[in-house]
Amino acid sequence: MAKYILKRVGYAVVTLFVLVTLTFFMMRMLPGDPFTGEKQLPEKTMAALNAKYGLDKPEPVQYIMYLGNCLHGDLGLSLNTNRPVTTIIGEAFAYSFDLGIRAVLLAFVAGVLLGTIAAIKRGKATDTVCMLVALVGVSVPSFIVASVLQYYLGLKLYMATGVRFFAVTGWEDFNSKILPVFALAFGSLAQISRLMRTSMLDVLGQDYIKTAKAKGLSQKAIIWKHAIRNAIMPVVTVLGPITASVLTGGFVVESVFAVPGLGGYFVRSIQNVDYTMISGTTIFYGAFLIAANLLVDLAYGLIDPRVKLEEG
Amino acid sequence: MAKDMNNKVLSVNNLHVSFDTYAGEVQAVRGVTFDLHQGEVLAIVGESGCGKSVTAQTIMKLNPMPPARIPEGEVTLGDVDIVKATEKEMQKLRGKEVSMIFQDPMTCLNPTKKVGKQIVEAIVHHTHMNRADAKAEAIKCLSQVNIPNPEERAQQYPHEFSGGMRQRAMIAMALSCNPKVLIADEPTTALDVTIQAQIMDLLAEIKEQVNTAIILITHDLGVVASMADRVAVMYAGKIVETGTCEDIFYRNAHPYTRALLKSLPSVDAEKKDRLVSIAGSPPDLLDPPKGCGFAARCARCMHICREEQPPEFTIGEGHTASCWLLHPDCPSGEERGEKDV
Amino acid sequence: MDKIDKSRFGWVGPDPEHQEGISRPSITYWRDAMNRLVKNRVALVCLCIIVLLILGCAILPAVSPFSGREQHLTEGNASFFTPCTDTRYEGQGHVHIFGTDRLGRDMWTRLFDGGRVSLMIAFSAVFVNLIIGIIYGGISGYYGGAVDNIMMRIVEIVNGIPYLIVVVLLMMVLPQGIFTMVVAYATVGWTGMARLVRGQALALKNQEFVVAAEAMGAKPSRIIARHLLPNALSVIIINVTLAVPSAIFTEAFLSYIGLGVPVPHSSWGILAQDGSQVFQVYPEKLWIPAIAISITMLSFNLLGDGLRDAFDPRLRR
Repeated sequence: MAKYILKRVGYAVVTLFVLVTLTFFMMRMLPGDPFTGEKQLPEKTMAALNAKYGLDKPEPVQYIMYLGNCLHGDLGLSLNTNRPVTTIIGEAFAYSFDLGIRAVLLAFVAGVLLGTIAAIKRGKATDTVCMLVALVGVSVPSFIVASVLQYYLGLKLYMATGVRFFAVTGWEDFNSKILPVFALAFGSLAQISRLMRTSMLDVLGQDYIKTAKAKGLSQKAIIWKHAIRNAIMPVVTVLGPITASVLTGGFVVESVFAVPGLGGYFVRSIQNVDYTMISGTTIFYGAFLIAANLLVDLAYGLIDPRVKLEEG
Repeated sequence: MAKDMNNKVLSVNNLHVSFDTYAGEVQAVRGVTFDLHQGEVLAIVGESGCGKSVTAQTIMKLNPMPPARIPEGEVTLGDVDIVKATEKEMQKLRGKEVSMIFQDPMTCLNPTKKVGKQIVEAIVHHTHMNRADAKAEAIKCLSQVNIPNPEERAQQYPHEFSGGMRQRAMIAMALSCNPKVLIADEPTTALDVTIQAQIMDLLAEIKEQVNTAIILITHDLGVVASMADRVAVMYAGKIVETGTCEDIFYRNAHPYTRALLKSLPSVDAEKKDRLVSIAGSPPDLLDPPKGCGFAARCARCMHICREEQPPEFTIGEGHTASCWLLHPDCPSGEERGEKDV
Repeated sequence: MDKIDKSRFGWVGPDPEHQEGISRPSITYWRDAMNRLVKNRVALVCLCIIVLLILGCAILPAVSPFSGREQHLTEGNASFFTPCTDTRYEGQGHVHIFGTDRLGRDMWTRLFDGGRVSLMIAFSAVFVNLIIGIIYGGISGYYGGAVDNIMMRIVEIVNGIPYLIVVVLLMMVLPQGIFTMVVAYATVGWTGMARLVRGQALALKNQEFVVAAEAMGAKPSRIIARHLLPNALSVIIINVTLAVPSAIFTEAFLSYIGLGVPVPHSSWGILAQDGSQVFQVYPEKLWIPAIAISITMLSFNLLGDGLRDAFDPRLRR
């Protein structure tokens, strides 16, 4: 097990390193230097910044310094607001995380349930309905879901009934959270439920399910005690990519619902060509997702008893 | 314990099983009849695809329905007609009255559950014992099938067991609630030859110890000889010949049984004796032949064999076979114009 | 027992013609898969929709009286089937079938214009991925051992980098345009295909027919091209079909956050972004591209599902 953990951590570190390097050299490829934005900075600040970030030194030195700065958690100053990128991330990511974790949880729990139900009722109407919903989920991009939900459930429903079921924007009380969380979770929910259905059908066809049935266990007991845990494993392995898609999906969902999260900042910094903010956020997102992937890998090692033997 | 011929535990009468596939109805079992008595070992022998596993699984109603169907026939276990039994009733029978061990022990145990737990589950389900008692019982079962350090082993996952050990654990699980009937569906096919012998020895031992009747499904006639009280030879969804081991090995009457025995390698055969294979393959049960299922491959096939299904002829006490050659009107080989092929 | 005539007991012997009972009329794998696909109504309908969409995007902008770029400033945000009142088209009785956008550009023309761009990006991105994936995965799987080990470590690392983030980064750095989008998507998108091809190659290369080819002295390149690929083809086809919607989604997503193809091009993502800005007033301006995107993704997803069902040997009976 220790070997397995070590291997996974090693991968994560290398991946992060590659990402930081990639970001550095891409930012180098940009015309001019990162401090010549649209807003002209005073000469003195410019020189100070250049010195601070070592832009007057040769590239390899810059690269080392850049790595050092990243390690210290210094991602530079936002060109638009002149505030440290890490501070902005710190403030904004709390919202994004809140939104994202709810969405991932919703997607996971509802997706697993939906997929399981569809698998048990294979070929029946329930199955068809569940899978149609899931198909719509994987085929409609989150920004469309977000806009549609906001307009019809947030606005039209309010106008029709006079009762505010769902807030249209913001991130304060529970009713303002429902729509963004659902809009963000829907695609992943659909993906998980499709995966879960396939996996469950596969597991239900396994010999050990027949053994369980031959023991006299009921269908319900077989599903809960034998099938779910094994069927859920492929779902756990995609939780990493799911987290990534929820996080990136957050870019647009946050913009649509005006959630003051990092995704919204990111989109705005792209639109305003705020280079330091973009590279800083990129590295942060990258690090976060790599960490999430690592966690998922470790969790997988815990669920599947076979992993221990093979790897450690 | 000796077998008790007066105490019938299972009777299968004219059982038909069909599968609805997208190509049409596959008649996997086409009228199988046999009885099983307390403490008896019945071997069902046949090539792959002859319907022996389907018959066995139908006794426990393990075949998913649909696509499986039982258009005709009865299966009586104790006093319950399994064909008519509901799923709820079946859940009370499975594992308690009749249990099963499968061909491939590698895939039959849940890989993410401890072996002991998987046995405890069966015990708790059927006996309402509390967990601690059930656990002790499970460990007793494991030691009964000669698993060393049963306490320790019970705490392990199936992947920590070898193939033979897993099959032992399967047997322990199957016997945990003292079933009246144990179905062993090719219990040794997936195992190494040396392990095969151990597992067969274990089954023989169990047969002596407990009063469980065993249905042994196999395509290995060698296995049959050592254990079975009675043998049923199946072909194309039907039992073609049934009798005691001696009947089948030395007094067999059906050409298929003979061909099957001839294809068996033996140590004391002369060097010049070659193994005889049966040319061709079993008929397609999507569209079963009108006459005898073996007709197309039978060296002694006659006109009537292709036209009409042979009835069952009694040869001796408990020895029957379905072949037109046994019909009293059937003339001698010369008169039929039989040639060697 | 009934008396039976002796003649019926005449010997006929075995019947070699009917001996092979189990072997059904042999149909090839591909024929079988095609038969199954043709039986799958949903997949067929989706295939038709996809073909119609491609044809529509190819032909409709050319036959439309309007150009996707021309602005009719007097008739911005017109609704469905508004007759064109622009001076250039006076008296010709043309109609803006889907209305116009805020600059008075004809939505119908822009939709199919944008479809061209979106589909082109999606297809070329998937194609590039496919080529890289096949070469990389083929080599990795075929040689195995240390080569495979190193190559797969690299895949694992590339795979660990969140792809949308890298795409965003690349889109920032490279000049905006269709080509850039394809490059950005392909930079990180090839890993899936490479893994898949490798898996197939590994599974296939130990099979007898490959060993036989090797024993007869066939060169590795020939074995890869002639033996491994055709056998891996079904899996590849399915995954290409399922990769298209993800590429379409990526295009739409990037356009939506402002990294799409530059103006005055249109693409479905750009139309959706434009539409979302006026969504509360003119909801149909978002609905139109949204439905186009969704139907395309849905069709490809369903077709991919259908193909998988058709090819999956486990479903063969």
